[in-house]
Amino acid sequence: MSAQPSASRTPPIAGRRIRIKVKRADGPGKPSRWEEFEVQPEPNANIISVLQQIAANPVTAEGDHTSPVAWDSGCLEEVCGACTMVINGRVRQSCSCLIDDIAPAPGDVITLEPMEKFPVVRDLWVDRARLFHNLKRVKAWVPIDGTYSLGHGPTESAAQQAVRYVLSTCMSCGCCLEACPQFTLEDDETRWDTTFIGAHAISQARLFNMHETGRQTKADRLDALLGPGGVSDCGNAQNCVKVCPKEIPLTESIAAIGRATTLHAIAQWFSGR
Amino acid sequence: MSTRQGFLERRYFLLRRLHSLTGIVPIGLFLIMHLTTNSSIVWGMMNKRADHSAHAVSERGVATFQEEVNWINGLPAILLIEIVLWLSIAFHAVFGVYYARTGRFNTDRYRYQDNWRYMLQRITGYIALLFIFYHVATLRWGWSWLVPGGTTWDHAYASSTLAAALRGSADGNVTIGGVLVSLFYVLGVTSSVFHFANGLWTAAITWGITISVQAQRRWGMVCLGLGTGLMAMAWASIIGFATLDPRKAQIVEERMLGTHAPPAPEATPPPAESPPEP
Repeated sequence: MSAQPSASRTPPIAGRRIRIKVKRADGPGKPSRWEEFEVQPEPNANIISVLQQIAANPVTAEGDHTSPVAWDSGCLEEVCGACTMVINGRVRQSCSCLIDDIAPAPGDVITLEPMEKFPVVRDLWVDRARLFHNLKRVKAWVPIDGTYSLGHGPTESAAQQAVRYVLSTCMSCGCCLEACPQFTLEDDETRWDTTFIGAHAISQARLFNMHETGRQTKADRLDALLGPGGVSDCGNAQNCVKVCPKEIPLTESIAAIGRATTLHAIAQWFSGR
Repeated sequence: MSTRQGFLERRYFLLRRLHSLTGIVPIGLFLIMHLTTNSSIVWGMMNKRADHSAHAVSERGVATFQEEVNWINGLPAILLIEIVLWLSIAFHAVFGVYYARTGRFNTDRYRYQDNWRYMLQRITGYIALLFIFYHVATLRWGWSWLVPGGTTWDHAYASSTLAAALRGSADGNVTIGGVLVSLFYVLGVTSSVFHFANGLWTAAITWGITISVQAQRRWGMVCLGLGTGLMAMAWASIIGFATLDPRKAQIVEERMLGTHAPPAPEATPPPAESPPEP
């Protein structure tokens, strides 16, 4: 599912030259264009190291001098999510995408595009602020701030830890949003609170609703997910779970939150004000 | 304007769940009953308790369908049931189109079966909306100017007038217009059945009934089975009526009117498309 090389992959040919096709834009709102570069990748190179090669010598395959390609990255070990981009038409992390796996033969072409659901800052670098904004919508944290010590939290069962652990591995990369047909680019920030919140935030709401202390603000999270852009805007295309690099059961989280909102709404109808 | 937007936003969850619910009850439930009734033109051939005047096997299909239609027309407050259905379909359609327009298909990039079904669910919804409108307008509201042969449906002559609409002619021939109507019916009922079966699968996720991947797969098999059965009934209905000679069906219907109903003035067939007396 993620960047694991398959056992039956073609053995990479050493010293080969491959083409990197990059969708570029000079800044926010600027028109995009394609540029192609020819590189000789090092053994075990990833997309980032190829982009570094291009930055060291920013000359296109046609021999034109150009500006270095801009990209975003952080940890380089698939836990920060910053280097997420669309590689050969599929969203994934560029750090864990190895050239030997996807371009093993001379003349192979790799296309790199920025994610299309977030505004482009420059070239392959996008602004994922809306992703974090949507985590705030569901209060994706445990409320422990106060004027006195709350002491130790309640003990969590091993069974519950097993469910919650994989949910906690979300790195907010944006793959689930990029692949989601219900999540679309929204430049108007005033509409962020009423457009689809995305699988990542729904799953984080589930994570913190299950937390022994986090459940104290469960109603707030569910209320946020009842409104426009909440869990009901999910269209069940289920692309999110297939592109998630951490293999988080996002569709199970969506269904679990669906059940929680159903029960919450019924309880509100009979006992709410 | 602002108050109405406020209402839609405040009642967002309720409206979304009502949209989901109306697709199952009453619309989906009605679809099951409707296809069961209509396919009686085929399964009725095996009905040994069909009207005794129906001797031939094909006549039993006509007689059984007529008995089914008579039973439905005898239901209390049938107009109220119809109006509830029409309003439910209108609500489901208006909100369905509105919600469908919030997404953008991406099957070109993410070619997963679930993603294809996401797209098909919306496309079949649009087709089903057009089809159901045409179907109800022509056969229930009597907009005969939309029927190629200009015929109207009559519940006392349920099989013959339906066959005439699907064939584009009441005289036993099949016209080009009739073929087009029949093909549109095949497309329309196929879309409706897919939309219902797939919608039943997604509704279980929406309401939080199926949570685990395994539960979703198990429920998917149930929906696939139900959809396959409904699809068989839907296609059998169309084939049954499109291949039915309206003149032969009318002989059975007139015999049934003569033996089972007192002669009523409205029981005479519509003069324009009435075939010659045998």
